[in-house]
Amino acid sequence: MISKEDIEHLKDLARVEFGKNETEKLAEDLGVILAHMDSLKDADVSGAPETARAIDIKNVFKKDELAARDAEADQYQTAIALINAFPEKYEAGHGTYLKVKSIL
Amino acid sequence: MNITEFHAALKNKKTSVKETVVSYLDKIKKENKNLNAYLEVFTEESEMLAEDIDKRIKEGEEPSGLLGVPIAMKDNILIRGHIASAASKILGNYIASYDAFVVEKLKEAGAIFLGRTNMDEFAMGSSTENSAYGPARNPFDPERVPGGSSGGSAAAVGGGLAMAALGSDTGGSIRQPAAFCGVVGLKPTYGAVSRSGLIAMASSLDQIGPIAQSVEDAETIFNIISGKDGLDSTSTELGDPSSEPQKRPGRQVAKIGVPKEYFSEGLDSRIKKSIDDIIGKLSKDYEIIEISLPHTKYALDCYYIIVPAEVSSNMARYDGIRYGMRQNAPNLLGVYKKSRGEGIGLEVRRRILLGTYVLSHGYYDAYYSSAQKVRALIKKDFDEAFKKPAHNATHSVAGGVDIIIAPTTPSPPFKIGEKSDPLSMYLSDIYTIPANLAGVPALSLPIEKIDNLPVGIQLIAPHFKENRLFGLGREIEKLFK
Repeated sequence: MISKEDIEHLKDLARVEFGKNETEKLAEDLGVILAHMDSLKDADVSGAPETARAIDIKNVFKKDELAARDAEADQYQTAIALINAFPEKYEAGHGTYLKVKSIL
Repeated sequence: MNITEFHAALKNKKTSVKETVVSYLDKIKKENKNLNAYLEVFTEESEMLAEDIDKRIKEGEEPSGLLGVPIAMKDNILIRGHIASAASKILGNYIASYDAFVVEKLKEAGAIFLGRTNMDEFAMGSSTENSAYGPARNPFDPERVPGGSSGGSAAAVGGGLAMAALGSDTGGSIRQPAAFCGVVGLKPTYGAVSRSGLIAMASSLDQIGPIAQSVEDAETIFNIISGKDGLDSTSTELGDPSSEPQKRPGRQVAKIGVPKEYFSEGLDSRIKKSIDDIIGKLSKDYEIIEISLPHTKYALDCYYIIVPAEVSSNMARYDGIRYGMRQNAPNLLGVYKKSRGEGIGLEVRRRILLGTYVLSHGYYDAYYSSAQKVRALIKKDFDEAFKKPAHNATHSVAGGVDIIIAPTTPSPPFKIGEKSDPLSMYLSDIYTIPANLAGVPALSLPIEKIDNLPVGIQLIAPHFKENRLFGLGREIEKLFK
C-alpha cells in the first residue's frame, strides 16, 4: 500500500501537481496497480540478467562533423524555430531575450 | 482504394493525385466531426503537393512506392513547421523544428500528409479516450473506441479518411487499434525504424510502424521508413532482404507456433473460434505446433513497471521552460509543478508518479530491477520458440517454429467509458505487450467481424524477419477475399 505522505513526497520528486480529488483517486489506483504487480515476486529471476533492451546494441561513436542536414541556412531556420517555441520572450534593444524565472 | 490500386489507377489515368487527395479531404470534412480522428488537416498544403506530383507524373515519372499517397500522421511524429502536440495540452502550441526520420523518408518517397491524428496523450492509453482533445471514435460503431494509442490513425484508415497512416507502438498501440478498426498494423522489430522525431514515451519499447489497408501496403511503407539513422543509435540496417531464401512466394514459413498461453481464460470465445478456424485452414499447408511461452503471465506487470519508469524520465523535459505551455508561479519550482499539473493529463501524471515510485530508493530492487530481469525471461521464451532444433535431433521438439499466431486483443472494440479503472484498460494490451518486451516484430490483420465489429489476428516473427509476417499475412488475407 502507498501512503498519503508517500504520494505527497512523490509529487515533489516528480514535480507534478494533482488536485485534491485526483490525489484521493490516485492513492486508490496506485494501490490496485502495485498490488497487481506483486505477481512478479513469483517469477524465478535467478540467473536472469537485468535487460534494458531486447536487442543487443553497442555504443555508437561518430565524427564531430557537419552533416548535410545541418547546412547553414537550415541551422538559422532551426534557431529561429527554437526561439519562437520559447514560452516567454522579452524584446529590448536589438535582441530577443528568452525569459525564465530566476534560478537562485 | 489501397496503394497498389491507386497507383494502377494513376497509370491508367483513371484518377489523378489531386482528385484522390480532394476526395479524402471532402470525406474528412464531412466525417471528422463525428470520428475526431484528425486533430488538424493540412488542406492547402496537401492540395498543392498533389498538383506538383500530378505534374511530375505527366512529365513521365512512374507512380511507384508512395508517390502521391495521402497519409495520416500520428500527432507524436514531428513534421517540420507543423504542430506536434502528442494530444497533450502542454504541447498544444509546439511547432516541430525538424522532421522525424520517417517523415524525411516519406517526403522523399512523394507521400502527402493529410493531417495529424488523435491519440492517447503521449501515447499512454489503449482507447484514445486519454486525448486532451476529446476521444476519437470507432468508424464501425461511434459508441465504441477505435483502440489506442494510435486510435486516430487507425480510425482514419479504417473509416476511409486516409489511404494509410503511421502510428507508434510501445505495448500494442499500432496493432490493437488496427484490430479494432479493421485494418493492418505492423510493429517492426525494435531498431528497424528510427525513433528520431518520435515524441518518446518508453524509449526501450517504442517503435514507429505503418497502419494500412492491406499487408502489401504495410510492407511498402515499412520498406521505405526502415533503415539505419545516425540520429537514433538503436536503429539498425535490416540487412539484405533477399538473403532469406524464397522457397516460393509466401512460403518463408513452414512451421506455425500456437502459444497456449494466448488462448486461455480471458479470450473472447468468438475470437478464439475465428482464429481456430483460420489455423484449421492453414494446417493444410503448414505444420501447426502448440508451443508454450511460459512467462507470458508476467508480461503485463513487467511492462507496467518498465513503462512508467521510462515515462517518469522522458516526461521530465516537459517543464514549461523551453517550449510548450508555461504557467506562472512565484518561484521556479512552482512554475514546473503548475505547468506540468495543468498541462499534462491525469493518466500521464499517474504514470509519472508510479515511475518515480518504482525507481525510488528502497523500491528499485523489488520493482524495476526485477522487471528488467523478467524482460530477459520473456525474450528467452521467444528465442526458444524460434530456435531450430539441432539437425541430428531424432525426435520432434516443441519449438523451432518460423512464426507465431495469436489473437491481437482479448475482446472486440469496447464502449467509450466502459473501462474506467486503469488496470482494466491495461489488460486490453495483454496479447500485444510481450512482442515489445522481446523486441520482436508483430503484425495484426483483420479477420471475420464479430457482430459487425472488427477483430484481428496477430503474427509474431523472430527479430528482423518482417518478411515472414508479410508472407503469411498475405496468405491469411486471401482467406477472406
